[in-house]
Amino acid sequence: MVRRISLFAAALGLAAPLTAAPLTVRVIDASGRPVRDAVVTLYPAGGAARSAHAGGRYVISQQNMQFHPFLTIVPVGSDVSFPNFDNTKHHVYSFSPAKKFELKLFAKDQSRIVHFDKAGVVALGCNIHDQMSAFIVVTDSAWTARTNGQGLVTFSDAPNAPGHLTVWQPYLRAPGGQIVQAASPAQRSATFQVRLRQPPSSMAMTDY
Amino acid sequence: MRPFRSLSARLTVQFALLFAVAMLAVSAALSSVISGAASREVQSQLQSSGAVYDRLWQQRAHELQNAAQLLAHDFGFRAAVASGDQATMQSALGNAAARLRLRSAFIVTAEGKVSSIDPGVTRAETASLWDPLDDGRQTGVSVLAGRPRQLVAAPIMAPTLIGWVVFASDLDQREMRGLERLSAIPLHAAVVVYDKGRWAEASGSMSALDAGAFNLAQAHVGHPASFEMDVGGTRSIALAKPLPTFSGGEHAILLLAYPKAQALADAHKLQLALAAMTLLGLLLVAYATWKAAGRITQPLARLDEAAGRLASGEHVQVRVRGEDELARLAASFNEMVGKIAEREQRITQLAFNDVLTGLPNRTMFQQQLDHAFRAAVGNGGLFALHCLDLDQFKVINDTLGHPAGDALLVEAGRRVQQAARGHFVARLGGDEFVVLQSVGDDRNAIDRLARDILDAMAQPLAIDGNELVPSTSIGIAIAPQDGSDGQTLLRNADLALYRAKEAGRGTYAFFEESLNERAQERRQLETDLRLAIERGEFELYYQPLFDLEQNRICSFEALIRWNHPMRGQISPADFIPVAEDTGLIVPIGAWVVREACAQAAHWPEHIRIAVNVSPVQFHRGTLNETILRALADTGLAPARLEVEITESIFLDGGDATLKLLHSLRSLGVRVALDDFGTGYSSLSYLQSFPFDKLKIDRSFIQNLLTRDGASAIVRAITELAHALNIETTAEGVEETAQLMELRAHGCSSVQGFLFAEPMDASDVDKLFREDKVAMVQNVA
Repeated sequence: MVRRISLFAAALGLAAPLTAAPLTVRVIDASGRPVRDAVVTLYPAGGAARSAHAGGRYVISQQNMQFHPFLTIVPVGSDVSFPNFDNTKHHVYSFSPAKKFELKLFAKDQSRIVHFDKAGVVALGCNIHDQMSAFIVVTDSAWTARTNGQGLVTFSDAPNAPGHLTVWQPYLRAPGGQIVQAASPAQRSATFQVRLRQPPSSMAMTDY
Repeated sequence: MRPFRSLSARLTVQFALLFAVAMLAVSAALSSVISGAASREVQSQLQSSGAVYDRLWQQRAHELQNAAQLLAHDFGFRAAVASGDQATMQSALGNAAARLRLRSAFIVTAEGKVSSIDPGVTRAETASLWDPLDDGRQTGVSVLAGRPRQLVAAPIMAPTLIGWVVFASDLDQREMRGLERLSAIPLHAAVVVYDKGRWAEASGSMSALDAGAFNLAQAHVGHPASFEMDVGGTRSIALAKPLPTFSGGEHAILLLAYPKAQALADAHKLQLALAAMTLLGLLLVAYATWKAAGRITQPLARLDEAAGRLASGEHVQVRVRGEDELARLAASFNEMVGKIAEREQRITQLAFNDVLTGLPNRTMFQQQLDHAFRAAVGNGGLFALHCLDLDQFKVINDTLGHPAGDALLVEAGRRVQQAARGHFVARLGGDEFVVLQSVGDDRNAIDRLARDILDAMAQPLAIDGNELVPSTSIGIAIAPQDGSDGQTLLRNADLALYRAKEAGRGTYAFFEESLNERAQERRQLETDLRLAIERGEFELYYQPLFDLEQNRICSFEALIRWNHPMRGQISPADFIPVAEDTGLIVPIGAWVVREACAQAAHWPEHIRIAVNVSPVQFHRGTLNETILRALADTGLAPARLEVEITESIFLDGGDATLKLLHSLRSLGVRVALDDFGTGYSSLSYLQSFPFDKLKIDRSFIQNLLTRDGASAIVRAITELAHALNIETTAEGVEETAQLMELRAHGCSSVQGFLFAEPMDASDVDKLFREDKVAMVQNVA
């Protein structure tokens, strides 16, 4: 998964203008600790960096009453299949504006495919199992990445152009769940300090 | 405490005070316990009401939360919220609120959008809920649209948090009333909140709480202890409980108040009863103490009164009741009264009676005498005072001894008493008795009584084998004529007694005024005598004695003369007895010896000087020393001094007299016996003492020529003296014939006017100077 995104980023990088330079974004919490799994997106002004085409197929399985993986970043226009490996039925739904859908009661070894054609965060739940939770970030920017264990994201070929940076995290405390910050052309680094909500205890954060 | 005059009052007050202090202390302690217990009771009731409210609060919160969670989980509802379907949201909220009887319910989305069914709540108020909701607050008090409300929230998960369902339940009068009804005590409940910078009562039955009350409530928030405050003008016991608030800036307090008067009404009733009982107890104690004190002090008061009467001389007895200490005290008191009476009687007897004879004594006599005077003044009667004196009692006492004397006195007393039966008889002391005789018209009764007494006393009497015939003299004074008071009467009776003794013993005499005059004269003489010694009014005259063998003057007899400045010369016969009685004879006699010796020292050596010595000088004075001193001072040879004594010195003297005479003789002084032939004239004296000279009394000389016997006696005396080798001197020779006779009888010397009268010292000197021979010739 990590590799796939890197490749995707590399592919995006090929299309980038020559006037590009690395940009490092750092996300920390209220007490200064690095925050991982925050999705950082760079939007250059004028929409120059928009990815015009969708790419590939993605899988989010249901196994052991959990979605796998917990966080998935997909380009606009991607298809995501939802195979069920549990013995129970699942009722996968999303009320997110980016994609509202309902996969009503599908049983083991059945799979459903959903097409995501609009950028935004899609929160996945199961109407039968409250504890099941997963997120799909549908992005229309080539510069989209998640923070590593040090809370860092590095865009090696960020364009030397004005734009803005957004940071989203599943438990980020802010209206809309994301923070937006303007980025200047010469900016080579940015730091976001965020407040996090306590994640639901039943949720396993390690398994993705 | 000021002193009480009554023991019972003091006992009552002291014990009552003691009990009062104890009872008041107990009452105060009980009262304090009661009010403490009441306060604790109120406090615990307030706390339990607070706990009830807690439970109610939680119950309500739980109920609302369940409902909110139910709504938040509904898939359709979540879909509506997620998709912003306002109509669906409103209807779902309205439905739930109606079911829960709520006026307000909201949906607050994670983005901060609010959907409300209560138009009264402003958007700003609901927007302010986002922060606490986002912070996880799910319940608490908040003021919305001016009213405090209990808020309960439930998160809406789709599956991430997309918002909250918020139910708001009014904390209104109804809710407070419900709480008040649930409480066991009639309390008032109110919620006060701090909103928009000030405190206000948000709901409840308390009205008009002022700023002070709010501050007080705030100060006691969270304390388990109750406090006092004014609620609607009524003093109340209150408890303040903090209520959880929804947002940080808000404060809410549940205030529970209980009117103090009501809370402590029962306690006050109890305290009132306690006070009444204390007062009753005090009255009972005072009454009981008073009664008990009375039981103790009543007998004491009776004893006190009896003691007062005893002090005033009454012989009282107190009633003895019971057997306690007071009864014993009363019995002892009675015994004491008896003993006092006995002792008084004995003292009276001792005071008024003579121990020896049992007759009344001088003290009683004085009283009786005073009494007799008073009676005499009253009835105009006479009474006679007889003063008795045993003749020669001193001699009897000395010769037979005091026991015999006492026996004589007892017998004398008995006899007087018998003789003077019906009259008051007393012994004044020594051998002095008195009889007080009341006299009617018959004055002879006085004489009869005196004679009766004399006769009775004169009966012979045997004491220790000796037969005595006592004799008595009586002096009588009659009142009121002889004395207007007891002292005078007694003195005059005494004078009469002297007169009786003078008249010869064994007789009686009446007082006469002349006796009194004599007595006064005598007293004057006495006074003058004392002065005379000091003033040197005495003078010595000298009468020569003529030696018939040598035909010359051989001696002079010194004779005292008193030249009284007012009365001229006073005869020794008049003043010597007085001097003897008063003892003045001692200094006078001493002067005589000294003066005589001093004169004689100038005279020719063969001339002697003779000095008369009184028996009183012998017995009282220091005659020996006086003579020695005179001889030493004047240088007169002792052999030239002749002491003339009379037989009377032997009457009282005995061995001591003889011893003194011998010591004079041993000095070389001559001793002559004067007035020989009169008185007792016991020849035994001549045997027992070697006199140098006998002076034949002048009475023999006067009768010498006229009576045959006289001549014989004179001759017998001269012959006796001659035989004993004693000189003789004849006194009072006045005629030549007498001289011839005396010379014939062999008398040694003569003295008398025939030769020379007594002369003063200068005449004696002149005699010696002029012509000794002539003297001799003349006599021859």
